[in-house]
Amino acid sequence: MDIRVLRPSDIPHVQQTNITNLPENYFCKYYLYHALSWPQLSYVAVDVSRPKKTPYDAPKIVGYVLAKMEEDPADGVQHGHITSLSVMRTHRRLGLAEKLMRQSQRAMFETYGAVYVSLHVRVSNIAALALYRDTLGFKVGDTEAKYYADGEDAFSMRMDLDYLRNEALDEESEEEDTVGKDEGGEVGSAGKAGDGVDGPKKKEKKRKVRVGRQLGVGELVERNESSKPTLTNGTA
Amino acid sequence: MAANQVLPSKEQTLFRHVVQNYESKQYKKGLKAAEQILRKHPNHGDTQAMKALILSSQGKSEEAFELCKLALKNAMKSQVCWHVYGLLYRGQRNYEEALKAYRFALRLDPDSSQIQRDLAMLQVQMRDYEGYVQSRRTMLQARPQHRQNWTALAIALQMSGDLAGAEDVLQKYEESMRQTPNRNDMEHAEAVLYKNTIIAERGEMERALEHVDSVAKMALDKTAVMEMRAQYLLALDRNDGAVEAYTKLLRRNPEHREYYEGLEKAMGLDRSKTEDHQKLGEMYHGWAEQSDRVDAPRRLPLDFKTGDAFRQHADKYLRRMLKKGVPSTFANLKQLYSDPEKKETIRELVEGYLSEQPQANGGAERSEPNGSADGSHATKSKAQDSATTWELSVNYFLAQHYDYHLSRDLSKARKYIDRAIELKPSETDYTYHMTRARVLKHAGNVTEASKAMNEAMEMDLKDRYINTKCAKYQLRNNQHDDAVATMGLFTRKEAVGGPLGDLLDMQCVWYITEDGEAYLRQGNLGLALKRFKAVFDVFVTWEDDQFDFHSFSLRKGMVRAYVDMLRWEDRLREHPFFTRAALSAIGVYCLLFDQPQLAKGGAANGEGAEGAAERKKAAKKAKREAEKAEAERKAAAAKKATPAKKDEDGEVKKEDADPQGVELLKTAGEKPLEEAMKWVEPLLEMSPRSVEGQFAGFEVYIRRKKYLPALKCLLAVYSTDPEHPKCHEQGCRLRLALEKLDESLPEKVKQIIESEFLQKFIPKGSVEENNEEYLAKHKDSALHVHGVVRVRQALHPDGSGGVKEKSAQDLQQTLGSEGTNLTQAEEGLRLLNEGLGADGKAREAYVAKARERWPEAAVFRVS
Repeated sequence: MDIRVLRPSDIPHVQQTNITNLPENYFCKYYLYHALSWPQLSYVAVDVSRPKKTPYDAPKIVGYVLAKMEEDPADGVQHGHITSLSVMRTHRRLGLAEKLMRQSQRAMFETYGAVYVSLHVRVSNIAALALYRDTLGFKVGDTEAKYYADGEDAFSMRMDLDYLRNEALDEESEEEDTVGKDEGGEVGSAGKAGDGVDGPKKKEKKRKVRVGRQLGVGELVERNESSKPTLTNGTA
Repeated sequence: MAANQVLPSKEQTLFRHVVQNYESKQYKKGLKAAEQILRKHPNHGDTQAMKALILSSQGKSEEAFELCKLALKNAMKSQVCWHVYGLLYRGQRNYEEALKAYRFALRLDPDSSQIQRDLAMLQVQMRDYEGYVQSRRTMLQARPQHRQNWTALAIALQMSGDLAGAEDVLQKYEESMRQTPNRNDMEHAEAVLYKNTIIAERGEMERALEHVDSVAKMALDKTAVMEMRAQYLLALDRNDGAVEAYTKLLRRNPEHREYYEGLEKAMGLDRSKTEDHQKLGEMYHGWAEQSDRVDAPRRLPLDFKTGDAFRQHADKYLRRMLKKGVPSTFANLKQLYSDPEKKETIRELVEGYLSEQPQANGGAERSEPNGSADGSHATKSKAQDSATTWELSVNYFLAQHYDYHLSRDLSKARKYIDRAIELKPSETDYTYHMTRARVLKHAGNVTEASKAMNEAMEMDLKDRYINTKCAKYQLRNNQHDDAVATMGLFTRKEAVGGPLGDLLDMQCVWYITEDGEAYLRQGNLGLALKRFKAVFDVFVTWEDDQFDFHSFSLRKGMVRAYVDMLRWEDRLREHPFFTRAALSAIGVYCLLFDQPQLAKGGAANGEGAEGAAERKKAAKKAKREAEKAEAERKAAAAKKATPAKKDEDGEVKKEDADPQGVELLKTAGEKPLEEAMKWVEPLLEMSPRSVEGQFAGFEVYIRRKKYLPALKCLLAVYSTDPEHPKCHEQGCRLRLALEKLDESLPEKVKQIIESEFLQKFIPKGSVEENNEEYLAKHKDSALHVHGVVRVRQALHPDGSGGVKEKSAQDLQQTLGSEGTNLTQAEEGLRLLNEGLGADGKAREAYVAKARERWPEAAVFRVS
């Protein structure tokens, strides 16, 4: 299995993997929105051991993590968010989810200075809950009532990215280089103080997910200026 | 502007409201205001245009167009009217017309930045890079203070092929910057890396390396910078530096194959040289030692190791994976099966593990001496657990081994999977039941396979993966209703059009395609076409999806990802999802051309006498379904005192006026080959190396009597795979078509055909002689014989000269050849039925013989 960053050309198969594994599905455009807004954060696991059938075989995606940065975070702390993560049943027990997640987390930290990463999981999804909590080190926060379209509640989970700061420091001292992420320190502790408190942004987050699913990006992505003629100037 | 088009100030204010209302999507308010103006000034073009725009946003596009045309009549010289006219066309994806309208609007108001912007977006969407560069230059001149405008011009130049110009523009902007940007300035950090990719694209690796080194510290996409450096170092043969660079990358992500490839090259190691294997092995061993969880460096050496070294490594690898119970072990290794020796070694090893079972976990532990210590301390149940895991893994692996087409022995596969199931891993682990279904499918027993997969699904109803598999198997068994119901367990309840509506909405291409193929198998061409068209439309949507990003990405500043997307969209339709649907759809259109009566609702797939009954049944069923759907629609309409069903966001969903594809089929029947061309063109353009695509192109062109394009398709395959049996068949059919021409071809065309085709590829002798000689040479290969039979049909469409009997005989012969597989045998039956209209006796003989070899295959069972 090859673990690498998601490219736009992967999207059809990522979308297929998603709809094969999970009930929350998205348009191609929503994946593009992730890939073109935070191109460093989403990763795929590709089955590279498939014998080629045609000269145009698309990489077979057996797992992916679709991730973003929270825009205008309510707590004022830069943080990442996992929109979706899944691994094909046939490719379990390879640690793919963890490997994907670790790559994504590092990119969140390095590129965007993320202090923590958050995600939601269905309260009924014991297996996913166990994966995030026990294997990946997430902590369970609040329960968000009726988070999912079918009315099910979600656990809000999050994980501090402190460990990456230490890794980065190790790497740097190794290189005798002082490219610091110094501003990270303060923000980091601020993030810690707010750990587990996820109240105020609950409503807004919930709405975003639904909108993304229903409308695709045009509506979600800032504003779709190309489709509206701002004619006022011309006619005044 | 004409005097009668100038509004008094009160109305001018109102007009501004209309525009504002439109922009904030307050359509009702906007309409009201527009109508208020129009009451006093009924011919005010701009107001009419704005009203039209609002109407189109409400989905009333016909009305909108009409009104906008009226507006243009009233105000030919209004840029507003032309702009709106363009927007309406763009809404309909008629980009050519939209472009014209925008240009006109811009001529009337050259300073309008909105119109210029809309024009530019359309130009890049249509890949009119020449025009786009021009637009971008104008936009940059108007607002040089925005960095976006510089970057946009650079992208335009890059895409138009002017890399030097692109770099120059980026350079100029950087030079004009008065202060060093903030270190968190994402736009700047990204623009700098973008410039680096352009330098590299120009082939100037030395400079690219220098540049990337100079910006590395402030870059935010650290992984990308490290990758760029590594690539440049490698390209420049600075191997020490490259080794170091790839080593660093691998420390961050030891599962990325590209890094290992880079490292190998940087170390000067070559897998094809045996003398390098030692060092390669050590290198990978070193990486494997780094972590117990990493897979790539353990798996990769199996690709190059051979003989004993392979056996030892494979043994270690297999034991490790099987002990852990990794279900993808076989999937991860099957690529090696293209080497018969490796295939054999793996089989021997794993079959050997079977006999290790009695010593509890001993077999599993042998490769790790320390493990035995653990084992002795473990409780008995733990030891038993690991023994069970081991036995389960081994049996599961062997089941997959014997199910795989390169090592297939289905009775063995079944034995091993049954054993695995007996071990009863858990109540909810359906893995083994799923494989059991798969084995049944490969035996051709689609009915039992579907049942088995359903059983697997019932073990874990909350798991969508097995749900998906189950639906797929149901479709393979033509159970459309069951499949929809299965999928419905996970689709959104509120979706318009039920589960299928949700799947269409969510662009679930695999399902739509399988559903279409199942309808095609049953001869329901209307619904088959309807599904394939839905796939076609998904690709249109995907192409259209990029539109908003032309502006969005500039604002976000993620330029490299944007360029990546543009390039992907350029070759969007080379995706196998498209090709698969295209091949099926083209097949349907050819069938409709050959048998026009099918478009009138007759079912295809005639199968001799039984076929007729089958056909009647299918037709009846289709009729019943149509009636049922009609009744449902009426009931729904009656219920609909409430307004049309709305999506959650208030978007009105149009009801499908042709749910059974009846109208679609009728239209398709009128000009099947023209319709086919909609698929053929992108197929040939995007996937020229797909032999299947070229064959499909040939089938359409030869029916259209376009002999040169048909020849071009054929030659594309001749040049890469001249021994392909289709080459013989289509070559003969082309010759026949040319021999039978009523009018002779232009001299030039004749010459091309003579020099490029006949002299190069065709042996002396008549088509008939060639064909029989070809048969003599290839009589053991089903695919070749199928070709011969098709040529005979083309030679003697009336069945004269005893070709029917001969062909039936030859087809039956192929069933005895070792190389013939089930799919080919099915194709033989189809040929026997459709083309030959073979008599019952020949058919029976064929089916009887096939049944001996594939006793479970549904197609050979007498129903």
